[in-house]
Amino acid sequence: MLDCKARTMVQINSDARELAIKIVYYGPALSGKTTNLQALYQKISPEVRGRLMTLDTKDDRTLFFDMMPVFFKTAAGVKVKLRLYTVPGQVIHESTRRIVLQGTDAVAFVADSRRGEAAATLAYWNNMLKNLEANGLDYRTLPVVIQLNKRDLPDARREDELGDLRKVIRPPMVPAVAVRGEGVVETLWALLTLTYRSLDRSMGLAERWKVSEREFLARVFDHVDLRGTRLQNEVAPR
Amino acid sequence: MNPAPSFLQQRLPLGDLLDLRAFSEVCQSFAELYRVGLKVFDESGNKLVDVKVGNADFCGYIWTKASGREQCVATVGKVKTTPVEEVAKAVTFACFSGCRYVVQPVLHEGDAIGRVVFGPFVPEDLAELPASLTGIAADFDAAQAASYLKKIRRVPPGTAEKILNHFMDLLDVMVFTGHKNLIAAKLHIEAVQESYRELQEKNRLLEENFQRLKELDRLKSNFIATMSHELRTPLTSVIGYSEMMLEGLGGTLTDEQREYLGIIMEKGESLLHLITSILDISKIEAGRVRLVLGEVDVGQLLRDAAATVLPAARKKGLQVLCEPGQLPRLHADREKLRQCLINLASNAVKFTPAGGKVTLAAEVLPGERLALRVADSGVGIAAEHLKRIFDVFYQVDGSTTREYGGAGLGLAIVKSFVEAHGGEVKVASTPGQGSTFSMILPGHGRAELAVTPLTPDQAAGQAGQAGPAGPA
Repeated sequence: MLDCKARTMVQINSDARELAIKIVYYGPALSGKTTNLQALYQKISPEVRGRLMTLDTKDDRTLFFDMMPVFFKTAAGVKVKLRLYTVPGQVIHESTRRIVLQGTDAVAFVADSRRGEAAATLAYWNNMLKNLEANGLDYRTLPVVIQLNKRDLPDARREDELGDLRKVIRPPMVPAVAVRGEGVVETLWALLTLTYRSLDRSMGLAERWKVSEREFLARVFDHVDLRGTRLQNEVAPR
Repeated sequence: MNPAPSFLQQRLPLGDLLDLRAFSEVCQSFAELYRVGLKVFDESGNKLVDVKVGNADFCGYIWTKASGREQCVATVGKVKTTPVEEVAKAVTFACFSGCRYVVQPVLHEGDAIGRVVFGPFVPEDLAELPASLTGIAADFDAAQAASYLKKIRRVPPGTAEKILNHFMDLLDVMVFTGHKNLIAAKLHIEAVQESYRELQEKNRLLEENFQRLKELDRLKSNFIATMSHELRTPLTSVIGYSEMMLEGLGGTLTDEQREYLGIIMEKGESLLHLITSILDISKIEAGRVRLVLGEVDVGQLLRDAAATVLPAARKKGLQVLCEPGQLPRLHADREKLRQCLINLASNAVKFTPAGGKVTLAAEVLPGERLALRVADSGVGIAAEHLKRIFDVFYQVDGSTTREYGGAGLGLAIVKSFVEAHGGEVKVASTPGQGSTFSMILPGHGRAELAVTPLTPDQAAGQAGQAGPAGPA
C-alpha cells in the first residue's frame, strides 16, 4: 500500500496561501472530453477562468490535451487554482494520458453511453485504473464522477439500464449531452463537491484553510451560467 | 514504475513563456511607436526587457548629482517592487523629477507572473520642473534639465493607461501562445521519454524471459543427450541377445520363433537408429559435433547408401538408381556423409509411392566442389514448407495421425553435418512430381576450418565419446 500522505496530490504553497487542484477528464476517443471543456468555457465567466488551451491536430482530434484554468480567491485570502485537463483519447497516446493523469486530484470519466460503445468504454475505464495505479493514485479514494454522455443518441442505454449500472459502479453518474451543454455543469458540480470533501479530509479545507464547501462551490458556480441546468435551484445567486 | 514528475506540475516563469529575443523586438517597436520607454520584469524582479526612449539625457543629467542618483534608484525600486493588486488595471507612479510611470501586472491563469512598466513620460499638465527636482543640488541647471525634458514625450491624462492596456492585451496573447508552444514541445518530449521508458521495461522483461527459455532449452538438450545414451545401453542388450538366440546359442528355435525374433531385432534396430538421431541432434545443438576427416570414395559411399535403402524400396515397389560415374576422392568425415546420404535416401523412399524411382548421383561443380544428389519422383514439398524442412522436429504434416512416420530429425542432421564440412544443402521440389536434395561439399580439405571450435578441455572430455579429432 502506498502511503497516502506521501502521495498528497494537491499542490500547496502555504506561504502564498495557494491551492492548485488538478482535474482530469478521462475517457475513450471521441467520447466528448474536449466538448465538455468547450461547453464549460462558454458557461464560465472570464473573471474566474483563463483561455481554453487546445493542442489538437488538423482533424480536430485532441493530440495532447486541453487545459482550462479556473481560479478564485476565498474570503480568507486563499488563492485556489483549478486546472481542468482532458487526456487524448486515441489509443496511441497512452504515455501522454499517463503524464496528464499524474498528480490528479479528481477525475471525470466521460463515457459514451451508446450500447455499441460499452466495450470500448470498459476498456478505457480499466486503462484509467491502470494508469492511476502507475501514478501511485488510488481509485478508491480518488474523487471520480462518471459522465454518461451522448444521451440523445438512439442507441444510448435507457434509464433502467443505468439503474443496473449504478448497482455495480460506485462513482456517481451524471447523464449528459455535452454537445448541447447539457449535464456539463452538473458533472463539474458533482466532481468539485467530491473534490472539496476529499481535500477537506486530507488537508482540512474548512479548519485550516477557512473555506467551507458552500463557499468553495459558490466561488466557481456564482460565475457559471446555470440556465437550463438542474443546479439552477441549488445554487442561490448571491 | 512511477514516471518522473511532469513539467505540467511546475509553475513556469514569464521568461520561459516568451521567446525573449522576439519579444524584445516587439517591445522595441512598440516603445518607439509611442515614444515612451518600456520595461518588463518577471515575478522575481528579473528584468526581461528594457527599452529607453527619450529619457537618456534627462535622467543622465540627474544621475550626475549624488542626491538625484539616490532618489532615482529609490523610484526605480519602488516602480519595480511595490506590490500592485492582481487585476488587469494600470497603476500610476510619480517620479520626483515630475515624470510618471504606469505599471500593470502580467496576469496568467489567475497569477501575477510579472509586471510591465511604461515610462517615464511627462504628464501633459506639467508646467515647470518640480521643486523636488530642482532642489537636489545647489548647482542644478534648471534650464539645461528643461531642455532635456523636451525629448521625453508628453502624454495626456488617461492615455498612458490606455496604451499600456493595449500592450497588455498583446502580451496576453503572446504569453498564451508561448505557453501553448512550450507545453506542446515539452509534452512531446515527455511522451516520447515515457514511451521509451515503457519500451525498455518491456524489453527487459522479454530479455529475462528469453534468457529463461534459453536456459530451459539447454537443460532440455542435456536431458535428451543423457536419456538417449541411457536408452541405448539396454537396447543394445535386447538386440544382442536376440541375435544370439537367432544364431541358436540358446537352443533350437521353431520357424515361428525365428520370425518373431527377426521382428524384435528389426524393430530394435530402427529404435536404435532413432535414438542415435536424437543423440546426434542433441550433440549438434550443444555445439559438440566433431568431424573425423579422411579420404572418402564418394562412389562407394553412394553405392553403400543405395544398398542400405534397397530392401525398403523393393518392398514398396520402387526402383533405386545409383549413377556415381567418375568422381574425385573427398576429404571428409565418411561416417557422417554416409549417414546424410542414408537419411536423404530413406526420406526419398518414404515419400515416393509405388512405381516411382529414387536416384543417387554425384556431379563435379566449378570451384572444385562436389554435389551429391538424391532425387525422387515422390509427393514433393510445397513452397511454403521448403524453408522450414531443415528445422529440428519440423514435419510438413504436423498432425498426430500423420501418413508418414519419423521424428523430424533427419534433415536437420543432414544440414548440420554438411555445414560442419563447410558445405550447404539445397532442395528443389515440385509438388506431385518429386524432390531433389543436393549436398554441395567443398573439394579439398577445407572442412576442418568449419569444425565447431572447442576449448582444449572440452575436446579432451569428449575425445572418448566422439572419436579421434580430425587434423586441426
